Amino acid sequence: MDEEPERAKRWEGGYERTWEVLKEDESGSLKAMVEEILYQSKRKRVTQSHAQVRLGMMRHLYIVIDCSRSMEDQDLKPNRLTSTLKLMEGFVDEYFDQNPISQVGIITTKNKRAEKLTELAGNPKKHIAALKKAVDMPCVGEPSLYNSLSLAVQTLKHMPGHTSREILIVLSSLTTCDPANIYELIKNLKSLKVRVSVIGLSAEVRVCTVLTRETGGSYHVILDESHFKELLMLHVKPPPASFSSECSLIRMGFPQHTVAFLSDPDVRPSFSMSHLDGAGGPALSLGGYFCPQCRAKYTELPVECKVCGLTLVSAPHLARSFHHLFPLQPFIESPAEDHQDTRFCQACQAVLRDKTVFSCPSCRSVFCVECDLFIHESLHCCPCCIHSRTAT
Amino acid sequence: MRLNIDGLLVFFPYDYIYPEQYSYMLELKRTLDAKGHGVLEMPSGTGKTISLLSLIVAYQRAFPLEVTKLIYCSRTVPEIEKVVEELRKLMEFYAKETGEVNNFLALSLSSRKNLCIHPEVSSLRFGKEVDGKCHSLTASYIRAQRHSNPNLPSCRFYEEFDAVGRQVPLPAGIYNLDDLKDFGRRKGWCPYYLARYSILHANIVVYSYHYLLDPKIADLVSKELAKKSVVVFDEAHNIDNVCIDSMSVNITRRTLDRCQNNVDTLQNTIHKIKETDAAKLREEYRRLVEGLKEANVARETDIYLANPVLPDEILQEAVPGSIRTAEHFVGFLRRFLEYLKARLRVQHVVQESAPQFLKDIFDKVCIDRKPLRFCAERLQSLLRTLEIADIADFSAVTLISNFATLVSTYSQGFTIIIEPFEDRTPTIANPVLHFSCMDPSIAIKPVFQRFQSVIITSGTLSPLDIYPRILDFRPVTMASFTMTLARTCLCPLIVGRGNDQVALSSKFETREDFAVIRNYGNLLLEMSAIVPDGIVAFFTSYVYMENIVAAWYEQGILENIQRNKLIFIETQDAAETSMALEKYQEACENGRGAILLSVARGKVSEGIDFVHHFGRAVIMFGVPYVYTQSRILKARLEYLRDQFQIRENDFLTFDAMRHAAQCVGRAIRGKTDYGLMIFADKRYARADKRGKLPRWIQEHINDGSLNLTVDEAVQLSKHFLRQMAQPFRQEDQLGLSLLTLEQLESEEMLQKISQMAHQT
Repeated sequence: MDEEPERAKRWEGGYERTWEVLKEDESGSLKAMVEEILYQSKRKRVTQSHAQVRLGMMRHLYIVIDCSRSMEDQDLKPNRLTSTLKLMEGFVDEYFDQNPISQVGIITTKNKRAEKLTELAGNPKKHIAALKKAVDMPCVGEPSLYNSLSLAVQTLKHMPGHTSREILIVLSSLTTCDPANIYELIKNLKSLKVRVSVIGLSAEVRVCTVLTRETGGSYHVILDESHFKELLMLHVKPPPASFSSECSLIRMGFPQHTVAFLSDPDVRPSFSMSHLDGAGGPALSLGGYFCPQCRAKYTELPVECKVCGLTLVSAPHLARSFHHLFPLQPFIESPAEDHQDTRFCQACQAVLRDKTVFSCPSCRSVFCVECDLFIHESLHCCPCCIHSRTAT
Repeated sequence: MRLNIDGLLVFFPYDYIYPEQYSYMLELKRTLDAKGHGVLEMPSGTGKTISLLSLIVAYQRAFPLEVTKLIYCSRTVPEIEKVVEELRKLMEFYAKETGEVNNFLALSLSSRKNLCIHPEVSSLRFGKEVDGKCHSLTASYIRAQRHSNPNLPSCRFYEEFDAVGRQVPLPAGIYNLDDLKDFGRRKGWCPYYLARYSILHANIVVYSYHYLLDPKIADLVSKELAKKSVVVFDEAHNIDNVCIDSMSVNITRRTLDRCQNNVDTLQNTIHKIKETDAAKLREEYRRLVEGLKEANVARETDIYLANPVLPDEILQEAVPGSIRTAEHFVGFLRRFLEYLKARLRVQHVVQESAPQFLKDIFDKVCIDRKPLRFCAERLQSLLRTLEIADIADFSAVTLISNFATLVSTYSQGFTIIIEPFEDRTPTIANPVLHFSCMDPSIAIKPVFQRFQSVIITSGTLSPLDIYPRILDFRPVTMASFTMTLARTCLCPLIVGRGNDQVALSSKFETREDFAVIRNYGNLLLEMSAIVPDGIVAFFTSYVYMENIVAAWYEQGILENIQRNKLIFIETQDAAETSMALEKYQEACENGRGAILLSVARGKVSEGIDFVHHFGRAVIMFGVPYVYTQSRILKARLEYLRDQFQIRENDFLTFDAMRHAAQCVGRAIRGKTDYGLMIFADKRYARADKRGKLPRWIQEHINDGSLNLTVDEAVQLSKHFLRQMAQPFRQEDQLGLSLLTLEQLESEEMLQKISQMAHQT
């Protein structure tokens, strides 16, 4: 009884929006229109880059995932929980890709309680494994904003002042069950400079509006799954650092990866420090990263040394974090007619077919839209500029 | 910004203006130019008040001889205060723009309870007590007595005001109630009397409806107001009921008992006075022979606002001989009282017209029509002569005498109904005599006749043409304005069926139907799961709400709802209701979410706004028809049909729909606000019902939102709520629903605006 009209409705809903935007051109074809829409959606993220601001590079982020009854709602496929966890895996990956020296922890809230799924840590694998396991979790009761926020704050408040303290809440429920006045907690969060952002899965809730406004976070409500993903990806970029956050020098180790062969008689297989607590995984290995301070062995970076507490990173990690501070300037978009002489994209060497092309403001090289996206999102530097620099 | 409204320079104190405000001012200007009356409907939250004030103030400045005064009538004290604050903003803007201090005097007036600064009197809790106490300190004869006996208590504020206050006019400026009190304290003058005196020369007066409509009060306060005034009735959708209430009298057995006591007291006092000061009574007698000529002279020279209780012809005659002496009058009252008591002893319902009643009273106790007509006037005179300080105690006898005058004056437009018991409790004897006014135009007629322009305005006045008909006046402009919106922030949905296709309706036949009640419960349950923060649900009556809530409890629906939101219920007890409201708002504020179950026509539906998160959805369960079995209503319907050719059904539907519109309108209080409006009754889908909703709601009801099932409504709501939660900034409104001066002056926009007003 309930199933039938709902499915019909969703089907209609999916098409309604495309009808509204589609318009036939003179020849009655929709093709140009569709291409235009795809093109626009590609362009969108590029244009949103901001000007030079000071960013918090070392981030400590707690993700709070609502696991209350309302997560079983099926308006996201197959249900809200599965969809959220799936997107969250992608987010965690992307997050560590863009912020290699940051940390993440995951909290779930259900049945008026909040529990830590994973502790604050810098290794994506553990989080993703935990997220994968969480899919089968039953969703019951109401969430508690107060409990999850205070649980997150207990850990975050001990984090040093030069790092950013953030909480990202994915809230599906429209109600929260709090043991005490949440406005006191919000004041507390504000004084601790914890930035709370919320992504709502159903509608705008007042208390979240106040929470995010007071703590300087952002509040968004999703329209559908792709919008959800877009909103999550907004949180990948580090937030602007507040001026009051202190600056300090941080000791870091850059361990060399030593590769050894079984044939080499000097090396003996050894345990990695990161595998000591966790069960499973390859136990003994030959090579690895050795902490320059205490010679403890790790198989993966970045990590905080379990023995001496040194932050171990590799140089490319740091370099990748660096690009947030000096974002590549957006390329100049211009109609293709202006560049009659260049008919190929500098990067992929393909013929320029689109109506507009992009040129780097410093080296004047011309790129197609795909390459422009790739350069800005993944490379973070103009290949032609680099090339000319090395050539001279 | 400075606007040019049809050649008139208007100062508007904001940088941006809504297009409908501009259009509203245009219509208003036309009304004032024509010196006629107007009916204007504009949704709440679109700045009606400031548009009215800016235009009328500009008009007053431009044509000081045409319009001398603005009388702004509102309903409640907080609303009055809001108007004064807007006015203050406007005046500050004037001062800033023109650089000169203008000599505008604007003030608000309220009851003694809100204005008194006497330390003892102001601490009393009830308005009546304050009035009585004040009277016992300041009445003229009390003060006269004090000359001989200086030990009598006095109010030093009044004395001070009386001594010097009248010579020095109130300095120009804007005064709200607190400002008046402050000023009074500084000078040591009574703020209440100061305000009452100052409204005569003030440019703008802001006060409650009753000061103009209730004949008893209007006579005291407003009768000397200038003829060239503009009168504005804001939130006037219920103005006919206010008019009717002010002219109706209900008499119970308790009233009669108290009246009996009053009459005894009068008798004793007369005895005492006769022994000590017989000359005084003789003096009164002489005055009564002279008649009420003085009053007549004043009315002819057009200084006074006519009092509908005291019709013109009375003034030309002297008080009839039979009640001229005090003892005779008391005897007369006694007889009248006994007669009423006898009438209340009936076992069955009696309904009769005023002439029938008069004939009966003449047959039974030989009371003529003429002395009855003078009853009210004669009693006032007696009370003055007897120098009775505490007027409050004599409310019962005053009521009876007012009734006597009314019943003998009006043969048309009134009916008398005597009910031996209430319909709901037929076993408990509680006889009531309703003397009920059926024609609202009687009370408001003097206002229309006296003042050159009367503007009736509200957020919900549809259908516009019915107001001129029932209030019996001819407007020069009638217009309804919609909200121009940058995003569709209201979502009216008509839910006509449950998920099992059972038709949802609150009509009498299906009222007890289990399937309907269950489906209503289901609707609320589903909505509670998808609507954030606050939901307000309205039922058609308290009885209906009690029945439904009880059934929901048995079916376990309430328990399920409570998992999503807390539930609060409005009751007939004011204290309980305000407590529930407070907790409701708290629950909305801290994210728990809440549902308020209340009743259309109740306190919540009329006076309380649910801005933003306090009301994200309003659900109207059923069509809020009045209780049609009431005899008073039946009599009124009959009268409307005979006199104004308004069919019963038309009026009932109109009345139901204006209350429904009021209820759902509670949720949208501005353009940044958003809310769902759910009409849960299949009858709303019919054109005759839908067509009576205000235009600004109607235009958002498309065919896709008619006769939905619960599920469909839930899907649409979900989509709507997600859309509305997307970021919305002021820039998005600019140029569409919010205009700067340049945008306003563009040719294209002016054209658009001129088409906007919906002339009817």
